[in-house]
Amino acid sequence: MSPEFNLVTETKDNCIVINTTGYINNIGGQKIVDEFYKHNGNGINNVILNLAGSNVVNSIGISFLIEIIEKLNQSNGNLIFTNLDPSIEKTFTIMGLFQFAKKADNLKDAFKLI
Amino acid sequence: MNVVEYNYIIDKLSVQVKSFQEGFSILSGSNTLRELGTNFCHILRGNFFISDVNIFFKNNDSAEWESVLLHNEKCREYLPLLRTSTNLSIDYFSDRDFGIIATLPLTDGSFWGLVIGDKIDKTEITELDKITLQMFLQLLDNAYQSFINQKKEKQLNFSLNHKVVQLNSLIDTGIEISKLHKTSSLLELSLERAAALTNASCGVLQIISGDEIISSIGFPEDSDIKKVFNSENKIETSVEFKELKYLFTLSEKESRNGITDFDQTDRILLTAFARQVLAAIENEHLHNEAIEKERMQQEIEMAATIQKRIIPQKLPKIDGYDVAGINIPSLEIGGDYYDVTKLKDGRFLIIIADVAGKGVASGLLVNTLNASLNAYVENDFKLTDVADRLNKIIFKASTPEKYITGFIAVLDPPTGTIEYLNAGHNPIFYSSNEKLTKLDKGGFAFGMLNFGLPYESSYIKIEPGEKILFYTDGITEAMNEKNEEYSDERLELFFLNNKPAKAETFIKNLITDVKKHTADTPQSDDITALYLIRK
Repeated sequence: MSPEFNLVTETKDNCIVINTTGYINNIGGQKIVDEFYKHNGNGINNVILNLAGSNVVNSIGISFLIEIIEKLNQSNGNLIFTNLDPSIEKTFTIMGLFQFAKKADNLKDAFKLI
Repeated sequence: MNVVEYNYIIDKLSVQVKSFQEGFSILSGSNTLRELGTNFCHILRGNFFISDVNIFFKNNDSAEWESVLLHNEKCREYLPLLRTSTNLSIDYFSDRDFGIIATLPLTDGSFWGLVIGDKIDKTEITELDKITLQMFLQLLDNAYQSFINQKKEKQLNFSLNHKVVQLNSLIDTGIEISKLHKTSSLLELSLERAAALTNASCGVLQIISGDEIISSIGFPEDSDIKKVFNSENKIETSVEFKELKYLFTLSEKESRNGITDFDQTDRILLTAFARQVLAAIENEHLHNEAIEKERMQQEIEMAATIQKRIIPQKLPKIDGYDVAGINIPSLEIGGDYYDVTKLKDGRFLIIIADVAGKGVASGLLVNTLNASLNAYVENDFKLTDVADRLNKIIFKASTPEKYITGFIAVLDPPTGTIEYLNAGHNPIFYSSNEKLTKLDKGGFAFGMLNFGLPYESSYIKIEPGEKILFYTDGITEAMNEKNEEYSDERLELFFLNNKPAKAETFIKNLITDVKKHTADTPQSDDITALYLIRK
């Protein structure tokens, strides 16, 4: 069962890795966006979203992720999703997120896509 | 207006037309309200040489003005001059810090407000500037409309895609939970999927028996269950199976603007998930039942195997006699039994027995009979005493409806003397000088009564050429497709009319005759027979 949302961020060169655990809903999505803007304001425009600890996402959470994608597209940045639960990957595919964001099986592969 | 002025205006208008086209292109490419305001600000600055441009927005007439782009904090003092009417209003002031105050009403009831300072070159606002500004404001109106349409289109696409996700997830979850064999896992999965697809911020699933809550599952796992139930913004549904109620409750439907009401689609989705859970629980129950049934069947087959081993594979040779037997068990564990055993004193014990009914219980009784007899064989064997003891043992070991009919004979081979005892069994056929004698004396079936009534044995003397047929009612009651029994009469005739030299041949012929009668009708009871010839 999914725990309460939490995130941990790591910074590497011009990239931030946001590692999430728990339900990506209104609260989770807002936290991710806030974390993104905090670093994007410093010029970082490569984001790896590691969802290894999240297996449930709702449409409000997705709308926050789309906000990040739109923001990064304006600055030729990249958003890469990694360690996706199969059900989340399918949801993102249907919602069209991979038209503007990339996906990788693991963190190592995600860094290669930047 | 002279020619020079005229040409100047023409040139300026030509430049402005180009500027309008570029301006609309820039404005309509805006992704956010702030971006739209910022782009409009750039256009005004470029066209009017004004740096002090302040832009405000409000959603409706009664809302407060929100700054989209603020260059000079002092401009806020001019906000009361922004008139929120249904028409575009532009006021020009030559004696104030901010010379242009404009309000643009929009089709969705919202407003743009502009508070604009002096030109950088401190020149006056010309009539051409005023016309240009009006046209740019018209561009802003169109761009805003385009922005709103794009936003609506995005929302519509998002909503349609989300509907596809909901449908897809409903199908996938149905498949996934049908593969789970642990009820708790499928309940957790369905709860979290239902919560996510309805945008509920949390949910609870309770399993209730009567008034007692047996267990509760929360999503997310550390959710405050009381908060979910006390929420005014919640939906719930329940399903029941085997006196257990599964109550799903979801609360606090999320939106980007806070908590909103659940709609009919959410209720339909939650009900659909609950029904999937019910189907999965029913399937799991049936699956467990099937496993249990299979396990029991295996045990029954094992018991049947043990049962078969009690029946002798090979009978002992008796000098001067020929003996053969057969036992064809039905599909279930049978209750028929026969044996031929040599006693310590050289006599032979011959027994045939039949437990009332079939199944594991009957098999256990046959085992008891077999074990008890084997114990007595080792000692001095007195038939009536053995029968009394067997009756007591079987009575103690069995339930009231279970008993054993049996025929026990003790043959003294040299003399042909047979002491026998019929305990409620079918009469055994004895053929002497073409005459059929039915051996039926003895007492009650073993285990039927325990009143201390003694068993009585009788004697016959079998002469060379004489025969005895021991059998169970599986032969006489063997049915054909018309539900007609093989019958006692037919067996009697067969016994009298068939006199092969070998006991084994008689048994084979008898079985052939019984099968001829039953044809393709399934065997419903054990078939057992034992044939003894004195050579």
